Amino acid sequence: MTQVRPAAVLPRVGVDLVPLSRIPQLLTPGSGPALDRMLTPEERRLSDEAGAAGRLAAKEAVFKLFGATAGPLPWLATEILPGPGGRPRVRLTGRAAHLAEEAGLGPIDVSISHDGGWAIAVAAAVAVPPHIPAHVDERETS
Amino acid sequence: MSSAVDTTGIEKVRDWILGRHPDRTELAFDVNIIESRLVDSLSFVELVYAIEDASGAEIDFDTIDVEDFQTLNTIQRAFFA
Repeated sequence: MTQVRPAAVLPRVGVDLVPLSRIPQLLTPGSGPALDRMLTPEERRLSDEAGAAGRLAAKEAVFKLFGATAGPLPWLATEILPGPGGRPRVRLTGRAAHLAEEAGLGPIDVSISHDGGWAIAVAAAVAVPPHIPAHVDERETS
Repeated sequence: MSSAVDTTGIEKVRDWILGRHPDRTELAFDVNIIESRLVDSLSFVELVYAIEDASGAEIDFDTIDVEDFQTLNTIQRAFFA
């Protein structure tokens, strides 16, 4: 039996936390409201205060996977939506999808938790170098 | 004839940042507001609104160059020159 492992496949992890107290502030008309530039209408519809804080934390955690420094977080292009079994799923479009592709990221998983007035989120993915097609099984056995 | 520079807009932005940090009374124009965490990723979106409000111009969030937002000097050059 042989095992072939690519040398430079790296796990990526991102984490972020957001206090629930920031949400009312982001909803004040004087701020824009900023939350309209951070959550899509679908996300807004799905979110109470804790849900909004969790989604913002998840978006920041996903953004950290990209390793991008040139531009701001593409808030509306990084959607955190309900997935199978109630787990959150990530939908990337536009610039967020482009950044994920540039970073060579495979599927992204996120986990969100709330306690004590805070929301925390962790995002994880595997970064695959561009010369290794993402669809190729990374382990061969025979 | 003097060519006085109108600093009203950038002063509004400075006052907005100081308003978020009651512990501070001054903000020099060369202080990096991102690295010093006077503006974090959440309040960055609010800062964009504050600049739009003060400058009267709309800022396309997708084409933002974060270098323009590092200090009051860079904000002034990018949006109030």
